[in-house]
Amino acid sequence: MSGLANRAETRRIVLTISFILVLSLAACTSNDRIAGYIHYRINYNPTTLDPALIVDVTGGLIAAKIFNGLVRLNEKLEVMPDLAESWSLSPDATTYTFYLRKDARFSNGRSLSAADVKYSFERILDPGGKSPHTWILDKISGAREFMNGKSDEVSGIRVSGPYTIQLVLERPFSPFLNLLTMTAAYVVPKEDVRKWGDDFGTHPVGSGPFCLTQWKHNNHLLLARNADYFGGIAKNMGIRYRIIPEDLTAITEFELGNLDVISVPASEYRRIKNTVAYENLVASIEGINTYYLGFNCSRPPFDNIRARRAVSSAIDRKRILETFYEGRGRLAHGPIPDILRRWEAPAPPDYDPVTAKKLIDAAGLKGKKIQFYITADPEVVDIAEIVQFYLQSAGLSVTIKQLEWSSYKAAINNGEADMFWISWWADYPDPENFLFPLFHSSNHGPSGNRTRYTNKSVDDLIEAGQKSADMKKRDHYYLLAERAIVEDMPWVFFWHKTDITVRQAALRNYRLYPIYSMDKGLEVSF
Amino acid sequence: MIPLLFGITFITFSLTKALPGDPVYSIVGERSSPEIIEKIRREIGADKSMFRQYAGYISLLLQGELGRSYYTNRKVADDVGLKFPNTLLLAFAAMVIAVPIGVLLGFIAALHKGRAADRIITMLSVFSISMPVFWSGLLLMLLFSLRLKVLPPSGTGGLQYLVLPAITLSLPALATLIRITRITVLDVIDMQFIRTARAKGLTERAINAIHIMKNALIPVITVIGLEFGSYLNGAVLTETIFGWDGIGRYAMEGIIKRDYPVIMGCLLVGTIIFVIMNLIVDIIYHYADPRVRVHGTDR
Repeated sequence: MSGLANRAETRRIVLTISFILVLSLAACTSNDRIAGYIHYRINYNPTTLDPALIVDVTGGLIAAKIFNGLVRLNEKLEVMPDLAESWSLSPDATTYTFYLRKDARFSNGRSLSAADVKYSFERILDPGGKSPHTWILDKISGAREFMNGKSDEVSGIRVSGPYTIQLVLERPFSPFLNLLTMTAAYVVPKEDVRKWGDDFGTHPVGSGPFCLTQWKHNNHLLLARNADYFGGIAKNMGIRYRIIPEDLTAITEFELGNLDVISVPASEYRRIKNTVAYENLVASIEGINTYYLGFNCSRPPFDNIRARRAVSSAIDRKRILETFYEGRGRLAHGPIPDILRRWEAPAPPDYDPVTAKKLIDAAGLKGKKIQFYITADPEVVDIAEIVQFYLQSAGLSVTIKQLEWSSYKAAINNGEADMFWISWWADYPDPENFLFPLFHSSNHGPSGNRTRYTNKSVDDLIEAGQKSADMKKRDHYYLLAERAIVEDMPWVFFWHKTDITVRQAALRNYRLYPIYSMDKGLEVSF
Repeated sequence: MIPLLFGITFITFSLTKALPGDPVYSIVGERSSPEIIEKIRREIGADKSMFRQYAGYISLLLQGELGRSYYTNRKVADDVGLKFPNTLLLAFAAMVIAVPIGVLLGFIAALHKGRAADRIITMLSVFSISMPVFWSGLLLMLLFSLRLKVLPPSGTGGLQYLVLPAITLSLPALATLIRITRITVLDVIDMQFIRTARAKGLTERAINAIHIMKNALIPVITVIGLEFGSYLNGAVLTETIFGWDGIGRYAMEGIIKRDYPVIMGCLLVGTIIFVIMNLIVDIIYHYADPRVRVHGTDR
């Protein structure tokens, strides 16, 4: 009898323990949130949050919440005040005078002044520093001497009062204010940079609406709102960025309510679009980017314009965009995204398989082996196979060479590929950003012009646009440059990708921005 | 062990440098001048001869350092120190699941050779060895996180985060253990000494527990040691799916970005762990099997 009673008792204890265990596990799942915090997903651990060193979008979008620059972009993509209340430009268009606001403070409590701006900019140009972003500020006079170690300070950065700073350029450079909206131009406090040294990137201190309070690498970052922020206090308590590399895991977290917004992965787009519960929660924004197939214009066969035209005519871009890409973008008419173009779009050749075949025969390309370099991204692999099919139908023999990102970049920078697939995303919203780095002959290779395209008249037009302070004249130069590029066809212009997100119904005031640095995270709340 | 480690550093260094790709292009981002690229190359010492780079690395190691990541600027030793306990926990949990179940099922299958139990268990083992972890992991996540809502789908932390990745990671080891145990038990079962034991009038339970199990244990220990050793070097797919912050993901990110200090650090630590695991297995042999005792006194 007692044996039976013992057994029943044991069973009861085991059952109770299991029940408590399951309950506690379940409780943990539903509580995987911090109250009042907005929960976002990022794909990778940001490499660093030191503005001087950030090269990835993830790092840039988090740094935008922690730091401020002199100026920033508003929703219409215009330059607006940030740390600088106002500014003026000299008649010769070389001297910018910025008047800083007096209420800006670093999160360490110290007031931010013009000397901090000078320190931060010289830090980027420092010959002993590691910043790859010198190109943003090397237009300032005296920058090159400083970078070569020939002077102790940059003569063109002049502190003319505690809250006034002048930036003198060597020559007029029309997109300069746009450059100052970039991550590398954020202002940092000298004392914290000195204190942390190489580790400043994991202990960032800025003047922005949020402060980094915890960074569990490969797990999450916590940003708490800064009550002293000059732009007002954020409507949320803070932001939690969860690092989730796998798309399907992120979707699961979102569906469980552990994430408030996610970018919709291509594989899930159709399902989410057709889910009734998400009907009004899916948002999209036209991205400022261009996806293209680049030709190596410096060697046969694509040094021949007929060969480039042949490939362009052989591919039905519109069909690929509408079917395979499910309309997640707008067809590109040239290198410059439609949002930034203030003139009539050029007209690259339409899909025309008959002309393509003729051009291939005329250029002696029939059966010629073409190496098409791509990255290992599954979406890119699919697109490459479709392109391969079109080109093979037109009589070309295309071999796809798939490389992992680092090797791929080295290969296309060194000009190893005949053709390659890549995209360019705006650093700042100016047509110049889609012309100078990508097509100027001084930028062959890693600087951006990976097709090694060279056209003296295009170089001259781009430079004329950079120097011109008159908006209308600039647009005219850029229009002519774009036309000439579309005529020469160093790229097959594919599309401008649209960003698509889905959010939770409880989230209020969430909006999408075309450039990561624009989102300061102040408005979004529950 | 020291010469072995030197050999390992030399091999890993040569292999890492032989990889195609250039870390400098990833460090500088999308747009940078050739001068900056040269400057960064000098900064990370990539402009020096291979011999000088290797000598530099060895001198760093002798100071007890593993260097700093090219990208995050963080000390590799610190990061490895943070991630290794997570990997250890995951590997240990996977083995806690795989070893008892695997050995028990293998044993049962062998004792019921050719019968239904054997067939079911063998099928189970074939199934779990053929399922890729990224698939089984996602299925488990769908079931336990999305449908039943009892376990979190991702993250690193307490017990609740550990369950799904540990089960996922245990499946291949479980299958291997079932098969190895089954085969070795079948080998032992027909041996002369088992028949002797039966003739002595020992109970089946005693025969199974003392004679068969103990003799079948040697290859099983080898498998456990090897599997555990490999898990300690990180399980990239499992860690990626479940967002587990372990060595595998860290090493993989290092490989993708050609972050040489990270790759070398992980390889070196991984090798040391493997060597130690082998040593532990050898020591366990010593106790489990009298035949491998070098200084036996009873012969």
